[in-house]
Amino acid sequence: MLETVQLTKAFKGKTVVDEVDLYLDQGESVGLLGPNGAGKSTTISMISSLLKPTSGDVKLNQKSTIKNPVDLRKVLGVVPQEIALYEELSAYENLKFFGRIYRVPKSELESRIQDTLEIVGLKERQKDLIKTFSGGMKRRVNIATALLHNPKILILDEPTVGIDPQSRNYILEMVRQLNEQKGTTVLYTSHYMEEVEQLCNRVYIMDHGKVIAKGTKSELLSILSNEDTISVQPNRIDEEFLAAVKKIEGVRKVEVSGEEINIIAKKVSNIVSELVNVGERHQVQILNFQMENPSLENVFLHLTGRTLRD
Amino acid sequence: MWTFLIKDLLLFWRDRKEVAIIILLPLALVVILSLVMPGMFGEGSEEEYDLDLALVKEDDQERSLELFEDHLRQTSDLSNNEIEELLIGVRAHLPVEGLIEYLNSPELAEWVSVEAMEKETAQAEVEQGNLDGALIIPEDYSFQLLADMYLNEPTEQALSFQADDQTMEVEILSNVIQSYLDHMNLHHAISSAGGEVEVPSEALPQGQVENVEGQQSFSMDQYFTISMGALFVLFLAATVATRTGIEKRENTFKRIVLTNSPPLYYLFGKTMGTFILAWCQMMLILIGSHLILGVFSDHDITVWVGLILMATMYALAIAAISAVMTSVMLRLKNSETGDGIFMMVIMVFGVIGGNFVPIYLLPNWLQQIGEMTPNGLVLATLIEWIQYEDFSILVMPTVILMIIVIVSLFIGVKLYPKRGDVS
Ligand SMILES: Nc1ncnc2c1ncn2[C@@H]1O[C@H](COP(=O)(O)OP(=O)(O)OP(=O)(O)O)[C@@H](O)[C@H]1O
Ligand SMILES: [Mg+2]
Repeated sequence: MLETVQLTKAFKGKTVVDEVDLYLDQGESVGLLGPNGAGKSTTISMISSLLKPTSGDVKLNQKSTIKNPVDLRKVLGVVPQEIALYEELSAYENLKFFGRIYRVPKSELESRIQDTLEIVGLKERQKDLIKTFSGGMKRRVNIATALLHNPKILILDEPTVGIDPQSRNYILEMVRQLNEQKGTTVLYTSHYMEEVEQLCNRVYIMDHGKVIAKGTKSELLSILSNEDTISVQPNRIDEEFLAAVKKIEGVRKVEVSGEEINIIAKKVSNIVSELVNVGERHQVQILNFQMENPSLENVFLHLTGRTLRD
Repeated sequence: MWTFLIKDLLLFWRDRKEVAIIILLPLALVVILSLVMPGMFGEGSEEEYDLDLALVKEDDQERSLELFEDHLRQTSDLSNNEIEELLIGVRAHLPVEGLIEYLNSPELAEWVSVEAMEKETAQAEVEQGNLDGALIIPEDYSFQLLADMYLNEPTEQALSFQADDQTMEVEILSNVIQSYLDHMNLHHAISSAGGEVEVPSEALPQGQVENVEGQQSFSMDQYFTISMGALFVLFLAATVATRTGIEKRENTFKRIVLTNSPPLYYLFGKTMGTFILAWCQMMLILIGSHLILGVFSDHDITVWVGLILMATMYALAIAAISAVMTSVMLRLKNSETGDGIFMMVIMVFGVIGGNFVPIYLLPNWLQQIGEMTPNGLVLATLIEWIQYEDFSILVMPTVILMIIVIVSLFIGVKLYPKRGDVS
């Protein structure tokens, strides 16, 4: 239904989105994952016709939308990463304004506003000015505004950054329902693995402007099928110890996160005892030790050598 | 389209304190300054002249009349009856008599004191600087004037006005006298066409006293009121552009782009909103300063027709220019840059348009450039209008402002970014 072809964007010669190919089928829920600065928002801006690509194309039903994005805009609901609302207007006034300029028929507008407010759970606060809202509530109105005209495709750019877990769950659940019950096609951007794992059928992983991996969750996890992820908590971490760990046979990646060391290693049986040995040699005690079920986070680590949020 | 206007007005309303301040500021400024500098305003504002004038009358009215009667009988083919009738009319309004009366009238008495003298004495006094000037009415001048007026025979002798030095006052006085005579001639022309003769002095415009060309003058407070009004409307336009910057920063503009709304709708909201506020601002300062300070109290209702027409046209023009500013703002990466640029443009417009320094103090070439700015144009036009109240004065400026409106709207639409993310 919607696809990008070799989508590229360069700012002053610096390529921030590099030949990205994505597609969205009708009714799908697709995740776009990547660390800060990966180029997710830039990609989304181009898809939603707000930013002109340096090269490449965005196609809706096989038709290019670059020259004339009118049809695309009609079916698109975009939730920008930043709150895009009039702070000095109430939630209701914001919705009414955007509803009208989205040409929601007058007879339906009132009920559409109330419905979307219901969906985002802010019916009671609709008369309050946006500037009096909490971050989470603003995010929810931000989403509601994109839903007014019943978009076929909903694009959300990190709709959950900087908000409390409760609002976050609420939003996730809301998007899931829109996708499952109304058949809305969803493109969901995040750097939270859990969200994407929970919500999306398929995932694209971006880093440095490139799609570095794609597929369903199980497809992506199979990248790690012949590897183990081990989380080790030593009593102290020093460079020599880390260097030694890296030298253990079969170890592919070593990552320090807080007090823990994440290790990706080939499925070899003696990795655990090797670790203990190395520890002893460097007077490091292994306090805790865990073999993890691989997650998309691990996939990312595997592919880039970095965690998503570093 | 109206949705955008409603939104913009609603936003202004939410910010009503700030908006009210912007709208009321010029009025407040005019009122405060009038309190601080009372000399600059009100009655005291008209410059006070004090002139001593000698009047040397070598002309003998009766002799002139007799000469005129003889001359008529000899040269014209009028019947006796007609001549009698004409002479009655002439006697009723003897031109030189009228001039002397006029010079002694209370209006002129305020700044001219006239003293009848012999020619030699008068000349000596003028030379010594005891008198500012001497008006000499030569022998048989009345006759020649009548012959000129009624028979179209060119005058040989002219009034002579002698002054030691060519001061402003002397200049004004000689102009007053000249315009009186012109007026009489014109009046004669009209009355001989229409058949009815009126007393010329009654038909003289009121304020003729004060001004060089014989029209009503304008006062500093009127100038100040209009220039402040024009200037602050410019500031208002900048405020609107700043708000566009906020819309961009708050990303609401991106959403607007995503709705496929035609550019004109968005600009319409901004333009109409600016127009409404600018219009209110102009009306407030014009009407407010009149009610509080009586700025236009020696004018009748006609002056308001021109004031309101020009204020409306001006508000329209500035509103259209705000459309350009809006589009430029949307295109700029950094809205602070926009704010800075617009402030600078406004300052330049304000200065060359005469909103800061009275326009007549500026060099001529700068005045001409100044009148190419909408604010300068409106200021110059209204100042002229206050003096003449002639509708033909308003025609050209109205056309020019209309052109500014159309061109600005066109540029505004052309510059409007097609995509929301203009960064
Ligand atoms: N207007 C711009 N001019 C120059 N560089 C830009 C511009 N917009 C984005 N970039 C750069 O492009 C890169 C990608 O930015 P983008 O916002 O798309 O990342 P992102 O994946 O959305 O990150 P985040 O998770 O922080 O939102 C960044 O390095 C950013 O600095
Ligand atoms: Mg982003």
